[in-house]
Amino acid sequence: MATDHDDKGHPNADGASREPRKLDRRDVLKGLSTVPALGLFGYAWKKQREYQQAKAEEVAASTQAPADLQVINVALLGAGAQGQVLTDSMLRITGLRFRAVCDIWTEYNQKRVVNSLKRFKHEPNAYEDYREMLDKEKELDAVIIATPDFWHAQHTIDCLKAGKHVYCEKEMSTTLEGARSMVAAQRETNKLLQIGHQRRSNPRYLHCYNKILQEAKMLGRIVTVYGQWNRGVTPDLGAPERYVIPDARLKQYGFKDMHQFRNWRWYRGKGGGPIVDLGSHQIDIYGWFLGANPSGVMASGGNLYYDPKTHEWYDTVLAVFDYDTPLGPAKGYYSTQTTNGSQGYFENFMGDQGTLLISESEVNYAGQLYRDPNAPAWDEWVQKGYVSAPKEQETKAKSESTAIADVRESVAPDQHTVPVTLRDPYHQPHLQNFFDAVRGKAKLNCPADEAYQTAVAVLKVNEAIEARTRLAFKPEDFKPRMNTDQHG
Amino acid sequence: MNIEHSAGGVGIDEPRGLRDVRRFSHEAMATVYEVYSAHADAGYSAQAAQATFDLVDRLERELSRFLPNSDITRINHLEPGESTRVSPSTLECLAIARHMFDLTGGAFDVSIGSGLPSLDLDVENSIVGATTRGVRVDLGGIGKGYAVDLMAELLEEWGVHRSLVHGGFSSVLALDPPPDHDGWPLTLSDPGASSRVLARLSSRQTALGASGVRKGDHIVDPRTHDPVRGRRAAWVAVPRPPESARGGSDQHHRAAAATVTDALTTACMLLSLDEIEALCSATPGLEAWILEDTELVHF
Repeated sequence: MATDHDDKGHPNADGASREPRKLDRRDVLKGLSTVPALGLFGYAWKKQREYQQAKAEEVAASTQAPADLQVINVALLGAGAQGQVLTDSMLRITGLRFRAVCDIWTEYNQKRVVNSLKRFKHEPNAYEDYREMLDKEKELDAVIIATPDFWHAQHTIDCLKAGKHVYCEKEMSTTLEGARSMVAAQRETNKLLQIGHQRRSNPRYLHCYNKILQEAKMLGRIVTVYGQWNRGVTPDLGAPERYVIPDARLKQYGFKDMHQFRNWRWYRGKGGGPIVDLGSHQIDIYGWFLGANPSGVMASGGNLYYDPKTHEWYDTVLAVFDYDTPLGPAKGYYSTQTTNGSQGYFENFMGDQGTLLISESEVNYAGQLYRDPNAPAWDEWVQKGYVSAPKEQETKAKSESTAIADVRESVAPDQHTVPVTLRDPYHQPHLQNFFDAVRGKAKLNCPADEAYQTAVAVLKVNEAIEARTRLAFKPEDFKPRMNTDQHG
Repeated sequence: MNIEHSAGGVGIDEPRGLRDVRRFSHEAMATVYEVYSAHADAGYSAQAAQATFDLVDRLERELSRFLPNSDITRINHLEPGESTRVSPSTLECLAIARHMFDLTGGAFDVSIGSGLPSLDLDVENSIVGATTRGVRVDLGGIGKGYAVDLMAELLEEWGVHRSLVHGGFSSVLALDPPPDHDGWPLTLSDPGASSRVLARLSSRQTALGASGVRKGDHIVDPRTHDPVRGRRAAWVAVPRPPESARGGSDQHHRAAAATVTDALTTACMLLSLDEIEALCSATPGLEAWILEDTELVHF
C-alpha cells in the first residue's frame, strides 16, 4: 500500500507520514479488490491485530495491571440497559475478571453482554437463574446487580449471604422493608454493599461537597434547592419479535408479559416511576449537600399523559421537602415530568451568599457558581483553584457600554465555574470506588445505610401524592430497624 | 479537514409518494438521524427506531470530540506514552479509520493531519495509546456512517427490513425497499442549489454517502495542507454485503458499508479523478459521482 507503513503496517520511524503522497493505482487495485467494503471490518480488525502483535509487549507494559493488584472475580446480575452501561464502565477498570452473566432474557441481552465480554478475553458463564449461578460460581468475589427494583432485595441478600460483595443499582427496593432487609443482611454478613447513586463518587460533586460547601462555605446558608429531570416523550420499550421471552419464564420471574418486563419502571410493585428512577439520584444529593434528612414532604403528581393501564406510576411529579439543616430550615423542591425535555436535569442550590448550579452532565450545567454581590469575596477560593475566576456577565458588560443601568433587573452576579471535569464514563468512578473498597483501599462512597436514608425520602413521595397531604418524617425513620429474625 | 457533510445533498425523492412509510427523527451528534420504516406495525416501528436512537446516543457519548468524557476526548488529552481504555465501538471505528487512511493514501484522515499513525490501537484489550504529543482525533468523517451501520444492524435484529436510515442525509443506508418498489428513490442534488437534482437513484442494500462544500468554502488536503479547488461535492455508493456473508453475531465481520462510504466520500473530495476511477473499477459495486464546478462525473 502506498502509505508510510511497511508491509506489516508499522509506521515508519522517521515520521514521514506528513509528506504528500500520491495513491498508486496498483495499490488501489490491490487494496479495495481484496478488501471490498463487504466484511471490511473483519479485515481491518485482522490487520490491526497483526500490527499490534509486534507492539503487544510494549503496550502491555504500560497498561497492564501491576502484578500485586488483586484480580477481582465479578458477575453481572441483570444485563439490561443499565447492566450494559455498568459493564461498559467495568471494562475500563483494571484487575477485573468477569466470571458470569445472569439474565432471564437469555435470547437477547444475556447473549449480547456475554459476546461483548468475550471480545475482551473474559470467559463468562451464562445463567438464567441467579441461584444456580451462586451455586456454581464459587470463585466470585463480587456481584453487580442491575435487575428491576423489585428483585433488588432478594438478589442482594442472597448474594451477600453467599459471601459476595455487592454493588446494587438504586433504588434499593420498591419497599422500605426490602431496603431494611438489605441493610440487615449487609451487617450480618459484613460484606460490602454499595448502592448505585453514582454522583456520590463523581469528582465534581465530591469537589463541591468537600471544598465549596464544607470548607469554603461559599453559598452561605442554603435555604432553597430546586432540581428537576425533564424528559421528552418516547415510545414504550419494545423487543425484537424473534427474541420475545416465553410467557412461562416471564411469569416465573414475576412479570405478567413482555411489555411489563421491558417497562417495569412504570408498574406498581415492580419499580417506582420517574420520581424514583430519576428523582432518587438528585434527592440523594439534596440530603448529602444539606447535611440533613427531610422532616416532611408534600407532593402532587398524576398520570396526565400515558395510558394508565401500562403506566401505573405518575408521569408528572412535584415534591416539596422540608429540611432542618445544621444552619437552619430549608426547602427542597423537586420536579420531574416525562412529556417534555425542557432544560433537562440539574440541581440548583441557593444560599444567601451564592448559588451552585450542578448536574451530572459534562455538557449542561456542569457546575456554575454565582456569588451574591454582598457576599464576602471569593478571591481566596479562586486562588486555591476551588472555583474559576469570574466570567463577566453579558448584562453587566452591556450596561457598562451604554452607561445606562437597567433598573428593572438586579445586577447579574459573577459567574464562576467548578474546575473539575470527569473524563471517564459517568458510572466508572463509583464502580472504581467499590472495587477499591473490595481491595481494602477505600471506603464506600454510598454504603447501604446511607442509601437507605435516600430511599426513605424518595419512596415517601409516591405515598404523599396518594395521601394528598403533608407527610412527616421522624428522625428514627431514617435508621433501619434491625430485625435479623425476618430472614433468619 | 473542513468538509461540510450536509452540503452535498442526498434526498428522498417525493417522500409523500411512499405509501405507509413512517419517519422517525432524533437529534444527536449535531445532526438529525432518521429511520424510514415500511414495516406494517407503526408502534413496533417506533420502538425499533427508538432502540436505534438510544444506540446513537451511546455512540455519541463515546465518539464525540465535543463531550469532555468521551473516549475521543480522552484520547485527545493523552500525553506521549499514555494510553486509555475505550469502548469496543470506539476501537472499531478507529481501526476502520486507520484502514481507510492507508487505503486512500492519507486522503482520509480522522486525525486532522496530526497523528493517526501515532496512535497505538490494541484491539485485544481495547486500549488506545499515543506515541506523540498533540493527537487530535475527529471522527466527524466516519462516525456518522458507523452509527448508521449499527442502526441498520439493530433494525434487522428487530425484523424491520424494509427501511432506510440516515445521519444528516450525508450518510444514508437503504435496506430493503418499501412494498411495490425496487429500491428507495433517492436524489443527488447540487450543494449550492438543493432544488437542482443531478441524479436519481433507486437503492436497496446500499450505502450512499455525500460530502460537499458550499460556495466560498474550501477544503484542505491533509496530505499537502493545500486548499483544494474546483471540486464541489462527492457521492459514493457501496453495496451492503448480504446477511449470509456477514458471519452472524460475529461482530468482526460487521457490514461496514456506510462507515466505508462515509470515509470514501471525504477522500473523494481530494483524490484525483484517475485515482477515483481506479478505486471504482477495482471494487465491484462501488460507484462515485464527482461534481467538478458544474459537471457531474460518474464512475
